[in-house]
Order: sequence, then C-alpha cells, then structure tokens
Amino acid sequence: MESKLKSIFAESLGIDESIVTDSLRYAEIPQWDSVAHMALVAAIEEGFDIMIDTEDVIDMNSFEKAKQIVAKCL
Amino acid sequence: MLLSGQNAVVTGCLRGIGKKTLEVFAEQGANVWACAQQVDEEFEKFCAELAQRTGTWIKPIYFDLTDTDAIKAGLKAIMSDKQPIDVLVNVAGFTKDAIFHMTSMEQLKLVFEVNYFSQILISQYITKLMVRKKRGSVINIASISGLDGSRGQLAYSSSKAALIGATRTMSRELAQQGVRVNAIAPGVIDTDMNAVVPENVIAGHIKDMSIQRMGSSSEVANAILFLASDLSGYMTGQIFRVDGGMK
Repeated sequence: MESKLKSIFAESLGIDESIVTDSLRYAEIPQWDSVAHMALVAAIEEGFDIMIDTEDVIDMNSFEKAKQIVAKCL
Repeated sequence: MLLSGQNAVVTGCLRGIGKKTLEVFAEQGANVWACAQQVDEEFEKFCAELAQRTGTWIKPIYFDLTDTDAIKAGLKAIMSDKQPIDVLVNVAGFTKDAIFHMTSMEQLKLVFEVNYFSQILISQYITKLMVRKKRGSVINIASISGLDGSRGQLAYSSSKAALIGATRTMSRELAQQGVRVNAIAPGVIDTDMNAVVPENVIAGHIKDMSIQRMGSSSEVANAILFLASDLSGYMTGQIFRVDGGMK
C-alpha cells in the first residue's frame, strides 16, 4: 500500500518520489497547497477505491498521516 | 434530450420540487439516485414506473438530513455503484416559522442542520467525485427569502442566505476543477410547504408579483434542468430567482 500511495503522491503533486517520505507535510512544499490537496485526495480515493471522510481530508497533513487514513479505509 | 446518459443525485424527492425535478430529469434521459427521508412504498412505485417509462434507472436512497451518519451511509451507497455523478441537486429543506424574538436556538439549529449543514456535507462528498472527472453541476435550492428576508421566517431565510453564500464560495473554488455551482431562489411555489401558509398571506405575496399567481414545481424544475445541462455551461456562482417577478 505504501509504495502505491507514494506513487500517487508523486504523480498528483508533480514531485519526485524521493521527496515523498513520512516527514513530507502539507503546505511545506509549494506543490502541496489547498487546491493540490483536493486533487490528491481525489487521486487517493480513485487509486484505492475508497471514500475518505471530510474529517480525514482535513487531518491528512502529512504522508505519514495519509498512510494511516488509507489503512483505516481499506 | 438535455441529460441523456448523465447521472444525477437529487435530494428531497418525495414531493414538491424534488419529485418534479426527478421526473423532468428522467424524461430528459438522466439516471437518478432519488434521495428521500423515509422509505415510502408509493414513492418506490413512482420511481419504478418513471424508470420504465423513460428507459433510465432510478434508485431510491433514504436518509434523514438531521443524522450525519445516515447521510454518510446514503452517500456511501451511492458511491458503491461506481458510476460517475454529473449533477447534484440539493432540494431537501424544511421550515420552522417564527418571528425573530420567538425563534429558539433549538429551532434555529434544527433548520440549519437540514437546510445548510447537511447540504454542505452532501456537496463535499459528491463534488469530490465530480472533481475526479473534471465535470459537474451543483444546483442548490435556496429561496427568495434568503435574498430578501421574510417576516416570520428567521430560521428559514437565514439558512437559505447561508446556502446562497456557500453557493458563491463553492463556485469560486470548484470552477477551475470543472464543477459549476449555482442556486435557484424560488418564490411562492404551489407545494406542500406553502399549503400551510394562510390564504391571505399567499394573496398578499401574489399582489407583489409581476406574474400574479403561484409558481408550479414544474417551472422550478425546468430552471433546475437548464442549470444542470450544458446549456448553462458558462454560468456559475449565480442565484436565479424563479419568483414571477416578485417586487
């Protein structure tokens, strides 16, 4: 799951996969702004065929947190 | 047909504007998830007959708009169909009329729960799917009371004003992702909601209209159809009065 999520992050945000680590945080790179966040959420939902609750969309402020949220939804 | 092969979610389908919108949409080729508050045999029959007559599918979905978990369960049922969603129409709403000083916080919160918070929740989930496809049209059913105010309708008019504000903000945020958001502000429409309004009050409103009669659910549904279809492809963030020219 982690490698697939990493690849979705990289593709959706237009960044190199090497940057996608647990410490990658929302708004800490210009590519991960609020608009990109929604596109990222949409890509994750589509990639894993899940529905992420709004509370989790708001909470998803790092790659590490995203892993936990996706794991919960699977 | 204006909505041929498109899929729509319509709330408040049990009666009035919602039911007529469901009918008009199906007649224009749309498949519809027809959302209503409670299971109703007559409504199920209506949906089945409409689907057969129009060659579409219509799926009744039931949830109470005061119950967040029930709304989420309903939305999950819709999403489990794995179909794209082209149109969302937030029709469901209700009123608890009282003058300003006689409106309790409890009444105010209940009306906002149904007319505003639930509509936002539904829109958040459905537009996420629209954003994926870079296409969609959301139509919120507001009210002229949300624009003009209405004596004795503090809770209702302010909840509709909030929905109008949300419509404008959503339209600005979602336009670049291919989703249009507009609202209809109906005037005095011949529905169950207005059936409880005293005749002299209705007559007073009619006097203030250029077209001196109540509107019909069909006339509102046709305006919704226009906003749902590509005929309005360059329109977003607009509040359309369907009120017979209320002064």
